[in-house]
Amino acid sequence: MKNRLLQAYKQAPWRVQMQWIGLFLLGLVLVSSVAGVYLNISAQAATAGRNIQNLENQIDEINNGIAKLTTELAIARSAKNMLARAEEMDFSLMDPQTAIYLEIPGYDPNENLVLAPPRVNIINEAPIVQSSYKTSLWDWLAKNIWQLSDDATEGDTLP
Amino acid sequence: MKPSFYFRYITIALTCGIIGVAIVFQMIRINYSTSALDLIAKSEDYRGVEQIIHPPRGTIYDRSGHVFATNQIAYEVGIDLKFVTDPESIAFSAATLLDLEYADVFTLASTEKREKEENRYYVLASYVDEETILELEQLKENYTVRRQAERSITPSLSGLVWAPMQQRSYPEGSLAANVLGFYNYFSRETAQGVYGVEEAYNRLLTGKPKNVFMPNDPYLVEALPDIDPGASLILTIDREIQAMLQQTLSDAINWSGAESGTIIVADPETGEILGMASTPFFDPNAYWDYEKTFPGITPYNRAIGDAYEPGSVFKVITMAAALDSSVAEPSTTYIDSSGVFWVEDSWPIYNWDGGAWGEQDMLGCMQHSLNVCLAHVAVDLLGEDLFYEYIQAFGFGRSTGIDLAGEANYPLRLPENNQWVILDLATNSFGQGIAVTPIQMVTAISAVANEGKMMAPHVVRSVVDGGQQYDVAPQVVSSPITAETAETLTQMLTVALEEEASTALVEGYTIAGKTGTGEIPTEFGYTSSQTNTSFVGWGPVDDPKFIVYVWLEKPSISKWGSEVAAPVFRDVVEQLVVLMKIPPDQVRLQLSAE
Repeated sequence: MKNRLLQAYKQAPWRVQMQWIGLFLLGLVLVSSVAGVYLNISAQAATAGRNIQNLENQIDEINNGIAKLTTELAIARSAKNMLARAEEMDFSLMDPQTAIYLEIPGYDPNENLVLAPPRVNIINEAPIVQSSYKTSLWDWLAKNIWQLSDDATEGDTLP
Repeated sequence: MKPSFYFRYITIALTCGIIGVAIVFQMIRINYSTSALDLIAKSEDYRGVEQIIHPPRGTIYDRSGHVFATNQIAYEVGIDLKFVTDPESIAFSAATLLDLEYADVFTLASTEKREKEENRYYVLASYVDEETILELEQLKENYTVRRQAERSITPSLSGLVWAPMQQRSYPEGSLAANVLGFYNYFSRETAQGVYGVEEAYNRLLTGKPKNVFMPNDPYLVEALPDIDPGASLILTIDREIQAMLQQTLSDAINWSGAESGTIIVADPETGEILGMASTPFFDPNAYWDYEKTFPGITPYNRAIGDAYEPGSVFKVITMAAALDSSVAEPSTTYIDSSGVFWVEDSWPIYNWDGGAWGEQDMLGCMQHSLNVCLAHVAVDLLGEDLFYEYIQAFGFGRSTGIDLAGEANYPLRLPENNQWVILDLATNSFGQGIAVTPIQMVTAISAVANEGKMMAPHVVRSVVDGGQQYDVAPQVVSSPITAETAETLTQMLTVALEEEASTALVEGYTIAGKTGTGEIPTEFGYTSSQTNTSFVGWGPVDDPKFIVYVWLEKPSISKWGSEVAAPVFRDVVEQLVVLMKIPPDQVRLQLSAE
């Protein structure tokens, strides 16, 4: 009788094996998933890293290109070249005695060249010491509790 | 479980366990072995490289935004031994295209070296131009095609590498080079600005280099920190005026046979230098030729770096002192009965022509540039204390502080110095026995043109840094004379110039000015027949917009400032009024009346 009862609750050996295999496979799947996610993220990080390097190189190339074009433009517009072009086009220095002068309101030949906005004094009106350095633990706790309750109240009123 | 299976499992488990333990043991052993440090050091090499990133050097513009100095791209060509397979081809291409010695390059590219030497990268050439690099690229491609066709590993330029680098460029060539200075970029680690603006503003132009670690591991790669380029400068120099000055100076030297020359154009109201030409001219794009262009002690910029005895242009200062201290008025007379002024009955002072000019008022003294009259003013009327007080108030004896590197200053010999004698007072009054730089003269005399206020001379108008522009405000250095004195003296010099029918006069414009002929001291005294000829003038007299200073050293055509420097001044002003858009007086007054 006793043997029979025990026999009734015991799993068949193949079932036990299957359960172990199942557990092992489950573990394997979990580990594989984690490894897969890890690999995926790692690959993305590595790709992002390489992209950053490529973009940095592109920035360098663009900056180099800008420098090259700036120089070429400056050489093309140099005083010597401009004078040669002006002479080619039959321009000559004007005689101040025969020149006609017009007064143009608002025109200032001596005006400052502006390449960037002028310096602005930024007055920082915010307190220098942040409030978190002046708040006691109790004040902070109370404030956050009130904040939470306010948020909760606002949430209730939402439709 | 069958015993045979059990045994197999145990064997596999033990084997795996032993391998695991061995791995751990080996890891511990390596960590504590003597070569661990070497291994760690080697691994560091593969982690990445520490690099100093130099921001691009700031651009220099003229006052209208024309580029005076910028950066262009050049290349560094080197050999990376790791990848070299064919040293012969590398040596051949370097010898052909880079003009290097075949044997030297072959030795460097030798593949045997890479086993022996730690350094596996060698620089072959720096600042190689883009055209050469394109030729190298083309050659590399041709070799690749040949290799594929012949199924061979040669010829190959593998291991011959190049990387871009920025090189200082001066698109205007020699224009304003004496103001700009140059940047000695070839010595890459110690490169810095030399002379002029490049040296005076070197730190601002250079910017702040940053040390950055660049990992090979892509997981560690981060965006490079933002590195602001060096500050850019906007100069007060006007490119067109500068070009005109250099051309006029060049023509003047050819015409007069002068050894050297300097012309400065400044705005007396602000102290801004609009143009500054000085010989010899120099192309900073080939700065390595510096010693050929400036042999010995030749100054880089005579306008600020060369002191000389100016002669009669200095009488403007003496007369300003006399008028301002009220010891003389324009109508004060001096009787030049003998053409000689005796200093303490010991030393005679003569006029430029050795003649006697009779009774002259101060206007006549200036108009005829009488040395005896000015010596009388300094010795008998002003006295040494007052005279030198004014001289120092006008800034002589100290640097002007112009924002250019290489300013010279010759100390004044004052009465408290042992070597000073009363003769110095007499000779100083007409610009002999005193050494000044052209920029000192311009700064001092600009006070006469600017209601008595002496402005700080400067060449930088604005600094652009960190995306913001900082404008340089004009600064008053001192007020050595009153506005009334300045006006009186200006009127005197205007009338003197007109009555003299000077060759400096410009039709349609009222100009005030003074000629100068300075004798040149030698070791035996003033025995040389060669002179320094100068002219200083400003206009339009009622609202001065420019002051022009001309100095031609040792002209051969004539020794007189009125015959050499004055016509050059006129040439400059005739072109200057066009470039500065200053109408003739009549037109200007008519326009302002409307």
